[in-house]
Amino acid sequence: MHRRTFMAVMGALAASAALKPAMAEGKGTVYYMVPTLLDEFQTGSVSALEMFLKQVGYEMKTLNADNKTEMQQSQMNDTIALKPAAIILAAVDFNALKPSIEAARAAGIPVVEFDRQITSTPSDFTSVAGTVEIGYIAAEETQKLLTAKHGAVKGKVLQVLGDPGDPYTLDIQKGFEEKMKAFPDVTIISKPAMQWEASNAGTIVADAVVANPDIDLIFSHAAHLSVAAVASLEAAGKKPGDVMMMSSNGAPVGLDLIRKGWLNVEVEQPLYAQAAAVAMFMDKIVNKQEIKAGEYDVLGLKSTVTIEAWGPNIKIPGAAITKDNIDNPSFWGNLKPPTDTIKAVE
Amino acid sequence: MTPQTRRRVEFILDNLVWFMLIFVLAVFSAFIPNYFQPAIFANIIEASSVLGVMSIGLALVILAGQMDLSVESVAALAAMGVGILFCSAGIGLGIKLTPAWLAVPASLLAALGIGAIIGLFNGFLIVKAKMNAFIITLAAYIWVRGLVVAISGGRSAQDLDPAIRFFGIQRILGLPLTAWIAILCFVAFSFMMMKTPFGRHLKMIGGNETATHRAGIRVSRNLMIAFVLAGATAGLAGWLLTVRTSGATANLGVGMLFNAFAAVVIGGVSLKGGVGSLPGVYAGVLLLSSINTAINLMGLPANVTQVIHGLLVLAAVMLDTFKQTIRRSLA
Repeated sequence: MHRRTFMAVMGALAASAALKPAMAEGKGTVYYMVPTLLDEFQTGSVSALEMFLKQVGYEMKTLNADNKTEMQQSQMNDTIALKPAAIILAAVDFNALKPSIEAARAAGIPVVEFDRQITSTPSDFTSVAGTVEIGYIAAEETQKLLTAKHGAVKGKVLQVLGDPGDPYTLDIQKGFEEKMKAFPDVTIISKPAMQWEASNAGTIVADAVVANPDIDLIFSHAAHLSVAAVASLEAAGKKPGDVMMMSSNGAPVGLDLIRKGWLNVEVEQPLYAQAAAVAMFMDKIVNKQEIKAGEYDVLGLKSTVTIEAWGPNIKIPGAAITKDNIDNPSFWGNLKPPTDTIKAVE
Repeated sequence: MTPQTRRRVEFILDNLVWFMLIFVLAVFSAFIPNYFQPAIFANIIEASSVLGVMSIGLALVILAGQMDLSVESVAALAAMGVGILFCSAGIGLGIKLTPAWLAVPASLLAALGIGAIIGLFNGFLIVKAKMNAFIITLAAYIWVRGLVVAISGGRSAQDLDPAIRFFGIQRILGLPLTAWIAILCFVAFSFMMMKTPFGRHLKMIGGNETATHRAGIRVSRNLMIAFVLAGATAGLAGWLLTVRTSGATANLGVGMLFNAFAAVVIGGVSLKGGVGSLPGVYAGVLLLSSINTAINLMGLPANVTQVIHGLLVLAAVMLDTFKQTIRRSLA
């Protein structure tokens, strides 16, 4: 009996040893530290990164930090012990993860910053649309919308932020307000939707439209906040077009609201291109080869790699989605992943 | 102190949270521009509907000397369930029933059913298997939210069936039907707690479970019902949440548990059980909503609003503690 058990265990070990080379056939495992799975952009990023990395020979595993900095730090520490080919980090907190990035790199593991740029310490690669830049694009669109309504850039804007503890929303606000500063006739009322929770945004909008019936534009920092904002406007008897609306991140819900006439503009984060860029450069990152500055074509988008103090940084332009270009399949909110296979940068 | 003065003081103490609400509304109306208007008061009542219904269930189990940390996640699961079934965009299946109004009872049944099943499961582990309520419901808080993420894949459902959405738009006396549902719930559950043997037994259990058991009251059965009711009301809160936001996202309702606890405590319900009333809880919910609305209307920097919110809640709870001190000195 004991001999039989012993033989069974040995057999299992031999089988697992035989399986290992097959599993390690690819170029290695890359860990993706996703900040949360409670938001469509982040869940979309998991599948996009997985798809593109597979195309260039990497397996991807995802760890969800549930928006908790300390959890992401622990995940980083655990992952360093596993010695993966690389770590892709979308940081919960832009500064708090600095020691973890340094520890990973000291252990010889390349770290890629995805979507959320960390400038306080070097990384091996950064792929961002630029959160501040999203604010810039939103400001440009605001100027166009207010001009179309009033003949000049003036009026009242309600800015519905995400959670005020999230640097992502604060960066968008920074970019937006920086560009809008040039227009003193525009009043911006900023309110945070705690924990990015939709009904909080709904309450803010319900109160704001009563207290400020002259609000021209509502700018929400995520498309799902716009859904609740629309519900509140509808409950207040408003119709599509009564109040101009804009949101950012390009989620499917935002595109849906444009099609229904509620939303004027959705500022897209080029999710597919951001993910594709990481995969295109992954060989160079893993093999610690030089990444050259210059222009690269990422899924048809002209993207620029610059060598910054924090390492190679690719910036992919965001886009303003309106009813005129909404059906463009490259917008991730249309949920049509690119069919072309990407190629690793040589 | 004369008996008449004593009665007056006790009346004030019994209804202190309502006086606090009136005081706060008066101060906000006087000092915050645009606060004093019927539409803002309607917003306060409307915004209280989800939290209010959720707080009823939480108050029931706390009055019975138990704890339920799962209500927020249960509401989210019910909201996502209704969203997936009756929303037509995103991950919504867009189920259409004939006649169209059937979507209302069907969605309500789904939400209440989801909540009641989880309440029953919690109740079974706590009451029958004698496991710790805090741990069991904390676990449910985590796994139920996980289930929301798992079934939605992190994606959202939107464009709720117009027959259901009707409850968020249609108004009676300036209030949307969702607010009336919450008010009706408070009236019905207050009646149940004050006028039915079940309600009285629940408070007795919260006051002294052993004595209640010795008095021949079926403690286990009543506690099971309390957990099922907490789950079902959380399910109803989820239904209201879906109606209010015209859909469901994976993070819907996040943070509501703490507001529900704040409302219950401000409303005068003792966390030790046995003491408190549901009308007080409703006043607590309205008080929190008034504060939220005030913050929304004040031109404060976004990053300090959470501090102000917390401090105002703290002030309300301190006032409540002060009330308890006076009450003890009267005894």
